Amino acid sequence: MTRLRFECRDVDELAGALALGAVDADEARAAREHLETCRQPHAELRSLLGADAVVAAGLEPIEPSAALRDRLMRSVEAAPRSAAAAAEPVPATDPRARGWLDWLSPQVARPLALAAVAAVIAVGAWGVMLSGQLADRDRALRDVAAAISGGQAAFRVEGGGGRGYVVDTPGSGASFVVADLGSLPANRLYELWLIGPDGPVDVGTFRPGADAVAVVPVDRDLSGFTTFAVTVESQRVSAPTSKPVMAGAVGT
Amino acid sequence: MMDSAQPLDDRLLAERLRSGDREALGLLYDRYASVAMAVAVRVVADRQLAEDLVHDAYVAAWQKIDRFDPSRGSLRSWLLTIVRNRAIDRLRGTRPSMEVGEADEQSLLRTGPNPTWEAAAARRSAVELRQALESLPDEQRQAVELAYFGGRTYREIAQLTGVPQGTANGRLRLALAKLRDSLSMTDAAPLSVQAEPIRAEGMNQ
Repeated sequence: MTRLRFECRDVDELAGALALGAVDADEARAAREHLETCRQPHAELRSLLGADAVVAAGLEPIEPSAALRDRLMRSVEAAPRSAAAAAEPVPATDPRARGWLDWLSPQVARPLALAAVAAVIAVGAWGVMLSGQLADRDRALRDVAAAISGGQAAFRVEGGGGRGYVVDTPGSGASFVVADLGSLPANRLYELWLIGPDGPVDVGTFRPGADAVAVVPVDRDLSGFTTFAVTVESQRVSAPTSKPVMAGAVGT
Repeated sequence: MMDSAQPLDDRLLAERLRSGDREALGLLYDRYASVAMAVAVRVVADRQLAEDLVHDAYVAAWQKIDRFDPSRGSLRSWLLTIVRNRAIDRLRGTRPSMEVGEADEQSLLRTGPNPTWEAAAARRSAVELRQALESLPDEQRQAVELAYFGGRTYREIAQLTGVPQGTANGRLRLALAKLRDSLSMTDAAPLSVQAEPIRAEGMNQ
């Protein structure tokens, strides 16, 4: 299946739909990828972004029931914010931000790596499922499925966002295949990272397909990296701006 | 001239929320709950369900206030985006976002939306804004409402309204351009654009 790519003209033609988020996931991704590198101003799109504020504000206000406010305040008293949620925001330009170090420390990464090896052996059925349902996706999918079902080395990446594997196949390069991906709004995407001693390195962005599966080529030498991670971003960025929704160790 | 009092208040309110001040949450509720209810009711057409959605959205805002970036929009827009997205999720039967604060942030671009839309929304009454929307041709207003309140793509709008996809897309574009122009004509701060690339900051490519 051909990956949708946008030129300037495509973005301009869809300016209104993009501003209201009225595009499908592939179009949103294609637009975002185009805008990440385009040197053109795309003035019309820029001028229309934010129009939804006016659409919402034009509604006749509706007073909620008197009980709702008390219910809300009871809820937040019963479930106070975690210390992490109350922390200072993570600077987008600082790859060594506190949340990342906490999450990706060796103490966390090593148990993940050990768990990954065990999981690869235990999930042959998942590999078979991939082979049967998705074999025509591309060679990367077949490689990953074969590696998993055959007990070859694969690195598990998992978390609240989904579960997947990275397989480094000789001659084919590495691929990240992930299933059970949570859906995202049109203006969000997943970004895959490799973490090494110098911090996170961007690998690529992706969105789930209709079957909640995505395949991401990993066009990098994995040596020297210790951890894979996936974050949710508004566009492709050079340093993560949020905590990982999935993570796993590279090797053992 | 842009009214700076309201955005300043919201920024201070956000800081108080960030510090864990529950009283600030009450203030946020008092300020925007009726607008949030209006959005939720408009999407799901069920008052009780709308109250549940507004409740959950406020809890999410409380828990994820660290995700709010005032440089990319107002607190009101951020909150209403959470309400709207959750209502659309419920309407369409899709799985809720697994990371509320992240998934509910609203930004196609790192540079953020054109701030003058929010200025217009803050300065004008709901009646005035509604009149601006109602001044649009019926088919254009319908397209905007299906997109925003129905969570429909332009392809789905085309199918629902029986027109070609290009026509549905064109209606959205024309509608927003007309709104922009009508608000610009009477607002001191124009809905201007910056003649610079909208490439993301800090990109490594």
